[in-house]
Amino acid sequence: MKMPSSTLTIAGRIINQLVRDLRTIILIVVVPLVIASLVGVSVPDKRILDYTAPAILAVLILFFGFLLTGVSFLRERSQGTLERLMASPVSRLDIVGGYLLGFLLFAVVQTMVLFFYLISVFKVNYYGDLWQILVFQVLIGIGAVCMGTFFSVLAKNEFQMVQFIPMIIVPQMFLCGLIWPVSQMPEYLQWLANALPMTYGVEGTRALMLEGQNLLDIGKEIGVLAAYAVGLLILSAITLRRGKG
Amino acid sequence: MPDSSSGPAVEVDRLSFNYGRQKVVDGLSLEVPSGISFGLLGPNGAGKTTLIRLLVGLLRARAGTILTLGQKPSPRIAHLIGYMPQLPSLYAELSVIQNINFFARIYRLRDRRQRTQRVEEVIKLVDLWEHRNKSVTNLSGGMKQRASLACAIVHNPPLLFLDEPTVGLDPELRVHFWEYFQGLTRGGSTLIISSHTMDDAAHCDRLAFMRDGKIIALGTPDELRQATGQAKATLEDAFLHFVKHGGVNENAQ
Repeated sequence: MKMPSSTLTIAGRIINQLVRDLRTIILIVVVPLVIASLVGVSVPDKRILDYTAPAILAVLILFFGFLLTGVSFLRERSQGTLERLMASPVSRLDIVGGYLLGFLLFAVVQTMVLFFYLISVFKVNYYGDLWQILVFQVLIGIGAVCMGTFFSVLAKNEFQMVQFIPMIIVPQMFLCGLIWPVSQMPEYLQWLANALPMTYGVEGTRALMLEGQNLLDIGKEIGVLAAYAVGLLILSAITLRRGKG
Repeated sequence: MPDSSSGPAVEVDRLSFNYGRQKVVDGLSLEVPSGISFGLLGPNGAGKTTLIRLLVGLLRARAGTILTLGQKPSPRIAHLIGYMPQLPSLYAELSVIQNINFFARIYRLRDRRQRTQRVEEVIKLVDLWEHRNKSVTNLSGGMKQRASLACAIVHNPPLLFLDEPTVGLDPELRVHFWEYFQGLTRGGSTLIISSHTMDDAAHCDRLAFMRDGKIIALGTPDELRQATGQAKATLEDAFLHFVKHGGVNENAQ
């Protein structure tokens, strides 16, 4: 299937914009490392860090992917360029797809930097194939970009978008198994945790890194994350309809 | 592809739109012939921007019909339309040339050589050649306005919607813009321009005075001036005349 040229044009423009903004590029790389360092030095037991690191990796990728895409998409709306795009011949899927592709590159960079930082500086052990772990993290990144796009389409201003962070991301952090295993939560919370994508991101990453499983073994996690990504992508395009008002 | 050279460029019939309970466009009917500059003139809140956004297809009418180039506004005819929003609406981190090049690609100027040539042409036209590699962030308000216009005209559209295009321009550049606009209409393009300045209004071939979402008068600048019954009436006098008398002149429907 040929990629529509408008999608690539929009993706290229996003990459161009971010590359010209050196401070943002530095923040994209440095901030996740600072947070990973805080976690790394604050966990006294190396075995606990081995168990926590996969979850930290998945959570940070989802969080920063969501934040970066969400805020950027909202800027597109507030500076009026989204309106200009909506009046042009590009389709809604071109716009959303362009965002996905453009930010995916930065999500991949963030994933690589975080992963190699954790295994080289904090000597986190992993037993699965490196490429399979990275492929799965990229999938989490795709989900994060789709989620960020969807909620920024819903938000009408920066204030609303900021409210989505505690509403969408923080509960997932508590329920995904980062702090406490999902299986030991009350049943109604388990039900909720199992409906959230971050849970599958954390479980899949743990299976790959700690249990040495491969991508075929975590088909359920991949399926749920992919379904979330596709669903949110379609919902974003629907919500972003022309003639809205 | 719709034929943009004959028939009215825009036909609006009993169009209404409201934000919540506030009626912004109220049963408005209008026909804009092709190949002219048509001014929507009125105070802030008259409904000019909302009308333009409806005509471009960014908003959906609550009642009434719109035909733009003979079709309902849709992405199918979007490449035949140029739209310059009220705000400059540019990518702040990108340079002037990158912004214009982006919109040239979005509007399907696919041949790289032709695109480069056209992008350079419009940059010179809006007098930003020396600033072409500057980030938009570092431009003055007037320069942003010029870059925004360049993005709207880069694909040579037969129908152009310009929402307050001359705001922030110095008098010399304003004259330059109007010379260019008149060149476009001579070439068969249609321009629909919103403004609240009488200076812009005097340059238009036809005008619609708007107030409270309605057209209160419609005609050429001369017809509207003459309708006041005063020998030396300005367009401002004409506008106030129609506001005061509340009626619609004979040319308006």
